[in-house]
Amino acid sequence: MIEVKKLNVHIGDNHILKDVDLLFPERSITCIVGPSGCGKSTLLRTLNRLIDSTEGVRIDGQVLVDGEDIIDSQSDITELRRRIGLVSQRPCPLPMSIYDNVAYGCRINRMFKKRRELVVHVRQCLRAVGLLDEIKGRMHTPASRLSIGQQQRLCLARSLAVHPDYILADEATSALDPISSKTVEDLFVSLKDRYSIIMVTHTLRQALRIADNVVFMYLGEIIETGPASQVFNNPQKELTQKYLSGAFS
Amino acid sequence: MNVRTLKDRTAKGLMLTMTVVAILTVVAIAVGLYLKSRPVLDSQSLSSLLFGSQWRPLKGQFGFLPFLMGTVWVTLLAIAFALPISLFTAIYITEYARPMVKRFVFPVLDILAALPSVVYGVWGILVVVPWISNHVAPHYVDFSTGYTVLAAGIVLGIMVLPLLVSLFIEVFSSVPAELREASLSLGATRWQTALRVVLRRSLSGILASSVLAVSRAMGETIAVLMVCGCVVGLPHGLLDACYPIPALIANNYGEMLSIPLYESALMFAALILFVVVLIFNLLSRIVLYRIEKQNE
Amino acid sequence: MNNKKNKVSVGKRVKEFIAKLLMWVSMAVVFVFVVSVLWTIFSKGIKAMSWDMVSKLPGGGFYIGKEGGFLNAIVGSLMIVGASTLLGLIVSVPVVFFLNVYLTKGSRLAYVARLAFDVLFGVPSIVYGAFGFTLMIWFGLRTSLLGGIIVITLLIIPIFIRTMDEASRNFPKGILDACLSLGATRWETLKVVVRQIAPGIATATLLSVGRAIGDAASVMFTAGYTDSIPTSLSQPAATLPLAVFFQLSSPIPEVVDRAYAAALVLTAIVLVLSIAGRFITARFSRNKVS
Repeated sequence: MIEVKKLNVHIGDNHILKDVDLLFPERSITCIVGPSGCGKSTLLRTLNRLIDSTEGVRIDGQVLVDGEDIIDSQSDITELRRRIGLVSQRPCPLPMSIYDNVAYGCRINRMFKKRRELVVHVRQCLRAVGLLDEIKGRMHTPASRLSIGQQQRLCLARSLAVHPDYILADEATSALDPISSKTVEDLFVSLKDRYSIIMVTHTLRQALRIADNVVFMYLGEIIETGPASQVFNNPQKELTQKYLSGAFS
Repeated sequence: MNVRTLKDRTAKGLMLTMTVVAILTVVAIAVGLYLKSRPVLDSQSLSSLLFGSQWRPLKGQFGFLPFLMGTVWVTLLAIAFALPISLFTAIYITEYARPMVKRFVFPVLDILAALPSVVYGVWGILVVVPWISNHVAPHYVDFSTGYTVLAAGIVLGIMVLPLLVSLFIEVFSSVPAELREASLSLGATRWQTALRVVLRRSLSGILASSVLAVSRAMGETIAVLMVCGCVVGLPHGLLDACYPIPALIANNYGEMLSIPLYESALMFAALILFVVVLIFNLLSRIVLYRIEKQNE
Repeated sequence: MNNKKNKVSVGKRVKEFIAKLLMWVSMAVVFVFVVSVLWTIFSKGIKAMSWDMVSKLPGGGFYIGKEGGFLNAIVGSLMIVGASTLLGLIVSVPVVFFLNVYLTKGSRLAYVARLAFDVLFGVPSIVYGAFGFTLMIWFGLRTSLLGGIIVITLLIIPIFIRTMDEASRNFPKGILDACLSLGATRWETLKVVVRQIAPGIATATLLSVGRAIGDAASVMFTAGYTDSIPTSLSQPAATLPLAVFFQLSSPIPEVVDRAYAAALVLTAIVLVLSIAGRFITARFSRNKVS
């Protein structure tokens, strides 16, 4: 379970996240929605500390992943990142073959002693995202030759390969055509009984289709949060109502 | 047609001519040097010029092998010395450094790049040569003046450092940030990311940059001339003196008009240098252009 | 499982540490070299430095005379560099303007031209020297101020063009479109473009001057060396780098001192140019590595 307490993030003079308090439930899909520039991506990047590489960033508060504070801890940041997978907006296959892409994380983390085990594992991960049959015989060709939708699923397979507990997705379908978008969306739904998925999304309709929980953010603040049915059907705050009715986006 | 349009057309024509003339300079250099080296090319075969090791200008024997080998030794040593240092420095700057560090490092590299060749030569004579003569050579040979392949390689290595570092920084910066993040989010350390993702994707750029640096090192004259020893002969080790091609040309210009064919031989040396540098430059620039384009 | 994970993690950290250590060592090596070079030049140069050095001509021949300084080289260098910079600017500004305003982005000619200038940039100065020498024989010139100016101009044109071209690429094309849509011809946009890339032109000039003043191999053949200040274009001219190079090998200590002092002057000039260039780039445009 990921718990965010009194999280404030400044980048330079900009106060990006303001007093964020959140709880991401396990084994479900939580969608973070809100107009662009409201801090969704920053929140996501704080959860796996990728934000560290941003210039002039200052983080206050706590982010507890399974009870361990990752902001202020001396714990192994790489181990943390292994446990929290990331699927980014544009698919970004590493400059290597399809097989090596999936095997990359396993090798980095020395997950297998025997090559055979690794091969079996890579095939399993590719099957999990429905790629295995599509790329028959092309396992060792460059990943960049896949279609963009296939690339995104490959990235998901790559994340799954290192056995994460959480998956972060940053507008993971926004660069895809409608059909691949649907495939990836369905994949996330099928994965939710094994992983806790936190998703930033730009389309309300997508959140409506797949979210179990919804977080609505505006100008760096959490406005409303709760089960999807409640937030969508019976929003408590005026701002949320306005947003849902399309008054701004 | 009004005056303004006419002006525009005239200016265009003029500028086009200037651009074409500038491009043609490349051809002009090649042709000029070739015409000048005709006499020596006619006097003996190309292979005996390139692979002969007899250098007796008074007898009309011009074997360039000692000078070619001198250039090869010195250049390779310089690159071998500069490559690891510049790779690590560039990785640090692109993958690790905070802006504060960059603000400090770039001016230092600027200074290194700006210092004239002759200043490096003075430094080589005052620092590197005595160091080799007093501290390095005694372990291996009875006596060395210090004016050696090693001295030239070290001086030249430092001279190509800033070029290599700035080229590498450009190449590494063209690797998209998303790739690094993908690797980091799988649990890789920065070093693993640098090694397996950034370096791996930059291989062609690293190669092209190194070739460019090699061609720069090959043509460097004064600094090398000051510390290489200038002894005609095939170098057999790092502690032998050597005599690279640019040093040969620069050192003998005074007497070249008095000996027949000598001038022609020296121009042939310049032609060799030009052709090799031209080919290396063309290849590496085309690769680097392609990387830059990918980046856009 | 936990135990194994810890092992992996320790391995990772050790490698990371070693890699970082190597990087720090590399940076330290670079830094030490810079300090060593500057320290050597400054400590030797300051001991040898005096007012006479920069204000008097060498007495009794530059190679053996113990008296005087190297004013001949300072003036010679300034003459050559000043004239070449001016000529270089006259040639390169129109070329850069042509490449960026008249030619479209994917133009074949622009590609070939940029490649040609990059190649010319890579041609060693000794080759320029040799080529300049053949040109001079062709025209019946002897080693002279004019020969030096021609060769140095050839040498710095590629530097000028490359640096200014870089600066023009960041130039917002919208401004150009705005001018054209007001009815200006492309030639008339020159004023606007030049104003926009002025910092680029300044940086290019400083870079070129730095390279031109320090280059020895090209002027060796073409400008020659002399004890006096040239009074016409056809007389040979001394230059600072050659003042260092020739006088350093003299057996007479006073002459060697002149070489050290000349090296100091040369280094100081180049340092000032480099710092000024940094300042201009930092002040007026985005921070860029050359």
